[in-house]
Amino acid sequence: MKAFPKRILALDAATSACSAALWREGRIVACRFQVMTRGQSEALLPMVAQVLAEAEEDKPDLIAVTVGPGAFTGIRIGLAAARGLGLAWSVPVMGIATTHALAASLTPIARQGRRIVVSLDSKREDRWVQVFDQNLIPLTPPHSLMPDEILALATDQDIVLDDDNLHTDAAIVAQLAADAWLAETGLPPQPLYLRPADVTLPTRS
Amino acid sequence: MTTKFERDFVVLVLGIETSCDETAAAIVDDQRRIWVDRVLSQTEDHKPFGGVVPEIAARSHLDHIDRLIAEALAQTGLKLDDLDAIAATCGPGLIGGVMVGATMGKAIALAAKKPFVAVNHLEGHALTPRLTHDIDFPYLLLLASGGHAQILAVLGVGQYRRLGTTIDDAMGEAFDKVAKMAGLGHPGGPQVERAAQTGDPARFALPRPLKGRPGCDFSFSGLKNAVRLVVESLPRPLSPQDQADLCASFQQAVTDSVAERTTNAIVQFKQHWPVGTHLVVAGGVAANAKLRDTLSLLSHRHGLSFLAPPLSLCTDNGAMIAWAGIERFRLGLTDGLDFAPRPRWPLDPDATQIRP
Repeated sequence: MKAFPKRILALDAATSACSAALWREGRIVACRFQVMTRGQSEALLPMVAQVLAEAEEDKPDLIAVTVGPGAFTGIRIGLAAARGLGLAWSVPVMGIATTHALAASLTPIARQGRRIVVSLDSKREDRWVQVFDQNLIPLTPPHSLMPDEILALATDQDIVLDDDNLHTDAAIVAQLAADAWLAETGLPPQPLYLRPADVTLPTRS
Repeated sequence: MTTKFERDFVVLVLGIETSCDETAAAIVDDQRRIWVDRVLSQTEDHKPFGGVVPEIAARSHLDHIDRLIAEALAQTGLKLDDLDAIAATCGPGLIGGVMVGATMGKAIALAAKKPFVAVNHLEGHALTPRLTHDIDFPYLLLLASGGHAQILAVLGVGQYRRLGTTIDDAMGEAFDKVAKMAGLGHPGGPQVERAAQTGDPARFALPRPLKGRPGCDFSFSGLKNAVRLVVESLPRPLSPQDQADLCASFQQAVTDSVAERTTNAIVQFKQHWPVGTHLVVAGGVAANAKLRDTLSLLSHRHGLSFLAPPLSLCTDNGAMIAWAGIERFRLGLTDGLDFAPRPRWPLDPDATQIRP
C-alpha cells in the first residue's frame, strides 16, 4: 500500500450543491461550498483552483469524489473533474458514496447507539437508501426502495436522513477518504447510478 | 520534464470531443500534423434504439474519455507538459456528453497549468479544411451532419456569415428517418447510400424541396413525408429492390435539392467575397459519395475549387477540435475554467435574427 496521503483534494457535485476541499494532515485547510442544482460544470474547477491556491499546494496525494447515488449529470461532472485531475497529476482517485457523506454529517455523539438510514430523492417514485451503523460502517449497499419499504425498514431508534435540503459537502468527503484509505474501503472512481439510462430519443434542434 | 523530440512546431494542442456519439481525443500541431487521433464510436450502444440516446451517450463518454486521452499520450510519447493548450468541445450538442468532455478538459488544463480553449463543435468542422489543405479565408462551407444542415461563408476564426440553414430537419436526420422507414438500420447515412447503389433513382417521383425559391435555406421534412407516403403504398416488408429504389430516389432528391440551394449560395458568396476560391463540404453527410460528386461538379462549373476533407475528418473527431483549439490559441482566444457548456451555440449568432 502506498504511503498515507498527507493532502487530499475532495470534490462533490453529485447532489444539489457544488464543493471542493483540501485536507492536510488531519484537517481541512481550504474549502468552497455553494448550493446549486445546476451550473456545477462552471463552478467546480474554479473552486478547485481556489482551494489549491488558498492552501498553497500544487497538487494533492489523493483525490476523493462523490460517485452517487445522486443527479446523473452532477455525478459525471464530479467524476470527469476528479479523473481528469488524477490523470494529469498521476494521483489516485477514490470514490465516496453520497449516502456515506450524508451519514457522516452527523456527529459521533448524535450517532451513538443508533443506525442511520440515508434516503435520497431519485426523481422517481423510489428513493435511494443506504443504512449505516453508528460507526458509519455500511449495513447495506446503496439501493432503490419504495417509500413504504423505507417505513417498514426504519425503526424508532434509527436516525432517518431523508431531508432533501441536506447537501453533500467535499469537506466531509475529504475526511471520509482519509478514513477509507486506512480501512481500504474506498470505492472505485465509477458512477453509482443505481438505474439504467432512460431511453428516450433525443430532440434535435 | 518534457519529452525528447525535435520541436519543429510552435503550438501543440490536445483536443477532446464528446458532443454526440463519438468519444474522441487527438493531439495536433500547428504544422498541421496529427500526432494521434483516437475515435471511439458508440454506434453499437445506440443501435437498438434507432437513434442516439443522450443518457447512454453521456455515460459512455465518461467511461472512456480519460482512457483515450491517456492512450493518446502514451502512443505518441508526449507528456502533458509538451502541450500548449487543452481544447474541448463545449457545445453545441447533447449537453450531458458535452459536460463530460468539457469538465475533463478543464481539469487537465488546471492540473497541467495549461490554457483551456472552449471549442464550438461546428467551428471544428468549419476549420477542418485549413488543417487538411491549408486554405485561406474566406471560403464557402456546406455543413451537413446528423444535427445540422447549413451553408456558411467562413471569413475567419470565429467569423461566420450564415447564408442558409434547414428550416426543419438536419440532413443526417433525414437520412436516418428514411433508413428507418425503409427498414434499414441506424445510422441511416451509410445504409441509405449502400442500398441506393443498386436502386433506380427515377422510380419514385419525390419532391425537390424549395426548388426555384430564392435563398439558400434547406428543407427535408416534406421530402421525408413524401417518402413515408411511398412506403405506405408498397407491400411490406419492403423487398430489397423496393428498398434500393426508394433509397436511390431519396438520395437523388436530396442531392438535387442541395445542389440547387448550394448554387444560390455560390452566387451570393462570389458576389460578396469575390476573393474566395473554395467550396468545402464537412460533417458526417459529406461522406455521401453521390453528394460529394455532385457538389464537386457544381463548384467547378462556377469557378470554385471543391474540397472535401478525408472521411475520418468529416465525421466527428478530436483532431478538428485540437485544430480549432490551435487556431483560437494563436489568436489569444482562450477561456476560463468557468466557461459554461452550451447546448445551442450558433456560429453566426446574428443570423437567427434576420431569418424570415
